[in-house]
Amino acid sequence: MKTEISRRRFLQGSAALTIVGVSGAASSLIESEEKAKISDYGLNKTQWSDKLQEISTLCEMCVNKCAAIARVENGVLTKLNPNPLFPKSRNMLCARGNAGIQALDDPDRLKYPLIRAGERGEGKFTRVTWDEAYEYIKDKMVKILDEEKDNRSAIGCCAGEGMAEHTYTSFMQGKIGTANFVNHSSICLATTIGGYTLTLGGYGQADLENAEYVIMAGANRAEAIVTPDTMDLFKRTKGRGAKLVVVDPRFTNTASHADTWLPIEVGTDLAFVLALTYVALTDESYNKKFAKENMSDFETYKEHVISNNYTPEWAEDITGIKAEEIRKVSRDFMAHAPRAIYYQGRRTAWSLQDYQLRRAQAIFSAMGGGIDIKGGIIFGKTLPLGEHRTNSPIYDNAEVRIEKGKAALIGGSGSWIAWRNTIIDGTAPYPVRAFFAYKQNPMLSVPNTAKTKQMLEKMDLVVVIDTMPSDTVMMADVVLPESVYLEREDPVKTFGGAEPSIALRKKVVDAKYDTKPVIEIMRGLGEKLSKPLFEISKKYDESLQEELEGLTEEEVLEYYNENGYDLADGYRHSQETINHHMVASVYGEEAWKTLREKGVFYPDMDKYFKKKSVNAYQYYPEHKKSYSMIEGQLINEPYHDTCVDTKEISVLKKEFRTATKKVACVLSNLEKKKGVPSMPVWNDELYTPTPKGKFKFITGRHGQFTQSATANNALLIDLLSENYLWINKRIAKEKDIELGDMVEVESSIGKIQIKAYPTEKIGPNVLFFVHGFGAESSELTLAHQRGVNDNLIIEDQYENTFGSAAMHETIVNLRRV
Amino acid sequence: MARYGMALDYKSCINCKACESACKEENGILLGADSHRIWVGVKEIEGVFPDLSIGSTSFEPSQCQQCDNAPCQEVCPTNATYYDDNGVVRVNPDQCILCTYCMQACPYDARYIDDRTLTVDKCNFCSDTRLMNGETTTACQATCPTKVRIFGDLDDPESEISQVLKAREHHTLKTHLGTKPKLYYLT
Repeated sequence: MKTEISRRRFLQGSAALTIVGVSGAASSLIESEEKAKISDYGLNKTQWSDKLQEISTLCEMCVNKCAAIARVENGVLTKLNPNPLFPKSRNMLCARGNAGIQALDDPDRLKYPLIRAGERGEGKFTRVTWDEAYEYIKDKMVKILDEEKDNRSAIGCCAGEGMAEHTYTSFMQGKIGTANFVNHSSICLATTIGGYTLTLGGYGQADLENAEYVIMAGANRAEAIVTPDTMDLFKRTKGRGAKLVVVDPRFTNTASHADTWLPIEVGTDLAFVLALTYVALTDESYNKKFAKENMSDFETYKEHVISNNYTPEWAEDITGIKAEEIRKVSRDFMAHAPRAIYYQGRRTAWSLQDYQLRRAQAIFSAMGGGIDIKGGIIFGKTLPLGEHRTNSPIYDNAEVRIEKGKAALIGGSGSWIAWRNTIIDGTAPYPVRAFFAYKQNPMLSVPNTAKTKQMLEKMDLVVVIDTMPSDTVMMADVVLPESVYLEREDPVKTFGGAEPSIALRKKVVDAKYDTKPVIEIMRGLGEKLSKPLFEISKKYDESLQEELEGLTEEEVLEYYNENGYDLADGYRHSQETINHHMVASVYGEEAWKTLREKGVFYPDMDKYFKKKSVNAYQYYPEHKKSYSMIEGQLINEPYHDTCVDTKEISVLKKEFRTATKKVACVLSNLEKKKGVPSMPVWNDELYTPTPKGKFKFITGRHGQFTQSATANNALLIDLLSENYLWINKRIAKEKDIELGDMVEVESSIGKIQIKAYPTEKIGPNVLFFVHGFGAESSELTLAHQRGVNDNLIIEDQYENTFGSAAMHETIVNLRRV
Repeated sequence: MARYGMALDYKSCINCKACESACKEENGILLGADSHRIWVGVKEIEGVFPDLSIGSTSFEPSQCQQCDNAPCQEVCPTNATYYDDNGVVRVNPDQCILCTYCMQACPYDARYIDDRTLTVDKCNFCSDTRLMNGETTTACQATCPTKVRIFGDLDDPESEISQVLKAREHHTLKTHLGTKPKLYYLT
């Protein structure tokens, strides 16, 4: 039965009934048959019996790790609520956080280990025991490593972001010994982390609770939620303390909070920042004291920007932003500095010039003096944790990573695109024959899905550890089901910043199926693989042979144990035991008790934490917050984003940051050693203009999905049922395209069909749809072929500094179907 | 005994739909339906690219306005709609005969039919799920990332909502209809 009365969701007078949700889903277009499916998904209602427990944990519906309190009744999770104690998540759970219950209850979950039964990709699997799965993996690994003469790098692997990522990488990189690891970094934040680290010494954290002027370019914190940035900023926009300038080809939900929205030509942000810099330099409005004391080679950079004539007029031609606007933004920024931030951004895999863009942003921010100071980019304090080390063997025959020379600074987390392409284009110096994926779905997450499929097809062994039957799982030989976050304890984590704390993800319900947390999977694999792989090393590793020469059997065993060849040795303790050690060894037993009970701990929490109002809490008194920690001298290891591999950052800084305590305007070392321009420079050759009649395609996020990981979540699909193509209204009219019409978008690598959303919120030469839809896996009841996968058309270009994906360089054609 | 109301600092809303999903989880709202208890109104932006009027667009979280003088209650022939002790407008599904008079009477379109029970449903400030079980606030208020909502007792002059309404300008929706809503939009 349907009500005939239309929903009056538009409160202000008679606003036209158009689109619900900026992401472009039109409620009127949702087909009723789809909805019938979603309505089959039940929601557990709390009965409020005396069996009700409240258990603290951390969310894993995205990367933010917000603190939650799980309501559990008779072993059934009935509600997830925010845990107010955690400074980083500020007493909130977003739509995805609430939908965590669906992640647990999804009937499509991977429930037990599987081995492929049909052709690869066919989706036919047989249920097996964990031991059978490990045995299968062992046989293949032994064969591969025997044939590759113990070159451990013949085993490739990838991981998505997560609290257990390190557990997995310590096993794959450390214990197995491969150099061929790739992760989310090069399809996400490699350029900004690298750019800010090399320039400022750290990525830092934008203090949006206190900034008075914020330039947010490309970043979309209203839809791509980052904590605490999202919560801090949007309470202060719209004339309430923070001026916001949004620079984005699209009018996003973030732009609707802006004082100024500057729609910029895609891929020209660097020209914009250079012109802002030019204005501040020629105006001499920058913070001279800060520049003198804290910026190295500042005069050289000044001369560089001015002599290159990076004027606002020059930038207007490139960016489409009026010179006067550029002047105004630069002047306003400096007028508000040091409480002025050019927001660093996160998923910055945009253009071929992205690294220099991030450098230029960091230097411009620093010119205002807003570094290591309240209201600027701060580095804060990090509460240390005890150590848990795994002992890894050294393998003589393990080769360096295959894509090493494909970009200047490919570090430990690799370049996803370059790595994959090296495997399929025949330029790899040796074969990579096995592939392990953990919590990542490269079939949907890496540009050019066809090539990812080709790469997987080449493998002799594909092992996937995940919770849902993703498109990548469909390509697996062996599927190892991970317990969802609500069923497991993860490594305890420390969260730095102005208000540092430690938080714990604790199990809230028992595993529903025959699944395991990663630490137990590594233990099981380790126990199965240790001895056979040691035999292979003995056969081919000459250093090992020398070491073992003349040793008795007993002594060999001792050597094996002492040098980490027992691959399971770092994973035998329970996660709880390890966490206990890491916390209690530094803060004592009481702290551990507090953390387990409340989910959050920091020294003096009992004294500092106070409820200020219905919505607000005090975590630290103002004078105890860690804004300025380094007083003009950048320390070596400041706090980084939670997604960052700090070891990799240290290596980068050690090698290329010469003036380690100052803002590095010029990186001569990098130019000398690697040929990367020492200062941000606009390079026409790296800019892709959009030919007339064609479009540049851009992708992005929205607040209800986390990439493809939540695509099958009934509660979230109920909020946004599919993705739509944003197309400028005038262009749509010219092409006779109306809301909901099917259109075809074609790039050099593929074409897709999608429903159109004509809007004024995007320019005439740009097309956009949100990422995360379009799964092909038939095992995903709700996500299967729902919406469209952007990586079917995004070209696999990458920039040449970090090998980071350049996702916004694709030119496409459009036609009505 | 209280008189519950809600103040909405709607300028902070980012249309993330956390409130909507929290409401559904808390109250077991049917998924996939056109209508449910709470929503965020989107006023589409005016202008032509690139000259858009930022001020013309807004996100306005909404739900049952919890009128003191509720037209839906007035027209209900079976008294299925009633005011509870806390002034919350509630529906007793056992008495609802699905005449839908209330849906037509409600000027805020806050009522809808639950296709499972074939009765009319609406926001009840989580009265039967949270409030009667000792919780002090609604699911939407608790979960909101940018803390749009302040829930509390309007009869208590010391409550935060009373204080906020005293200190800050606010308006109610369709005030001229005399429905006396207990949802206040802070300006």
